[in-house]
Amino acid sequence: MAAVLEFEEVSKHYGGGFSRRPPVRALDNFCLQVEAGEIFGFLGPNGAGKTTAIHLALGFMRANSGRGRMLGRPFGEARTRRRVGFLAENVALYHRPALHLVQFYGALNGMGGTPLRQRARDVLELVKLGSDAERNVAAFSRGMLQRIGLAQALVNNPELLILDEPTSALDPIARVIIRELLLRLKREGKTVFLSSHLLSEVELVCDRVGVMHQGRLARLGKTADLLHSREQTQVVARGIAAGAFPGAVASDGVVSFTIATASQRQVLEQIWSLGGEVVSVNPLKRSLEQIFLEVTQARGEGA
Amino acid sequence: MKPVWLIAGNFVREQRWPIAILLGWVALLSAAAGFSDLRRSPDDVFMMFQQVAVYILVFSLFFGASAIRNELRTRRILAVLSKGISRRQYIAGLLLGIVTAVVVYCLALGAAGSWVLPQAGVPAARFWFLLLGLLTASLLTACLALFFSIFLHPLLATGATMVSVGVPLLAAAIWKSPWAAVIPVYAILQGFLDLSGHDAALRGWMVLLAWGETGVLWLASAWLFSWKDVAVAVE
Repeated sequence: MAAVLEFEEVSKHYGGGFSRRPPVRALDNFCLQVEAGEIFGFLGPNGAGKTTAIHLALGFMRANSGRGRMLGRPFGEARTRRRVGFLAENVALYHRPALHLVQFYGALNGMGGTPLRQRARDVLELVKLGSDAERNVAAFSRGMLQRIGLAQALVNNPELLILDEPTSALDPIARVIIRELLLRLKREGKTVFLSSHLLSEVELVCDRVGVMHQGRLARLGKTADLLHSREQTQVVARGIAAGAFPGAVASDGVVSFTIATASQRQVLEQIWSLGGEVVSVNPLKRSLEQIFLEVTQARGEGA
Repeated sequence: MKPVWLIAGNFVREQRWPIAILLGWVALLSAAAGFSDLRRSPDDVFMMFQQVAVYILVFSLFFGASAIRNELRTRRILAVLSKGISRRQYIAGLLLGIVTAVVVYCLALGAAGSWVLPQAGVPAARFWFLLLGLLTASLLTACLALFFSIFLHPLLATGATMVSVGVPLLAAAIWKSPWAAVIPVYAILQGFLDLSGHDAALRGWMVLLAWGETGVLWLASAWLFSWKDVAVAVE
């Protein structure tokens, strides 16, 4: 599948040189490929380099080394950005009526006339701001601003949508709206690059996930693969004492515990030899939060 | 060209209050001058027009020096530059916005001058030519300030612009040389300040030179701005 967004050994550092601030390495030989039609979750703690990577892709800044491509073209080309939608973290927009604002951003992308007016109304409906189209965004709440920001990102019907913390200021209902919108965009064949701290959201919508740490990609894979551990297995058995296996918990007449996948056969034979019955054996399901903490803490200790 | 006009229109919209205050000031002063006895006190009228001419030059300086910084500080620049517009178009849009504001001001000043100045013995046609000079001087000042503001704090950019405009003038005054024409802001403005038609041909050349320098500065600003990290916090 074609890469829509591609980083090849990209490095970016701030400060140093004539600046009085010590140099900070935001990206360190960062490599990533985002494929067409997927929703890619981009995770990492604050300062991991997520926003820097996004800003490089959009041409807001230049890399110190390495190269990247967006929609098949080098980073920073204005023509390419016409096919991209972007929502910044803590979105800042001009103060004018919502409909005019969305039309303004659409016009900057070369749109005009009736199609633009219609599209602007449509995207405002999509983000559930249709009834506020004539209101000045100066009077909007933070959640509404986030949604109007999403509307301006969608107005040009982008092939690639880059979202930096789109749900951070939203209430649960608005989050559901955005989640459904992202899934709808995926069905339409769009690519979504989603940077977020809301791991539960990412877990629900993303096909693949990358975890950044200290300017590098620390973990990358399909969400389902990452969530299911290959090293550990969850065993549920009946008819044995909870004390028979370390860490086992008894509940509703069954005993459940986690084992190393390599010792699976030996443990199952042990259950049978104790007269027990195996109810289920599954790869251990973890949350993204666990993986996130595992990656960041392990690297933090290693650093 | 459309994105350039959009950026320009947006700039004027964002600066509508300073522009409105300037226009209000022109209206107030011209009304005061228009209803006084001009033939008895033409010097007061000239001084008033000189004063408002200097205002627009100063406002152009501040418009130019703060335009980019305001957008960076508010982070509104990100949503704009994430669209299909180049840095060169963005800079051109800001300059066109400043030109629009200055043109609106000059038109108001021209209308007021056409009403008031003929009564004080200054032909309206000459005044409109001097206004073209004022517009040019303002644009060159704004462009210089915009150029410096790409890599300097607005206050330093303002200072650097004033030095750039003032040093050739100083050199010309000390060495009696034509250095004032190097960056001919003051040389052009001088024609407006004395409201005379003297050296019209020379000032015509200076206006052309100033337009050329404005073009070069715009290209230099666009090139420099294309290397600027716009996502880095300015505070």
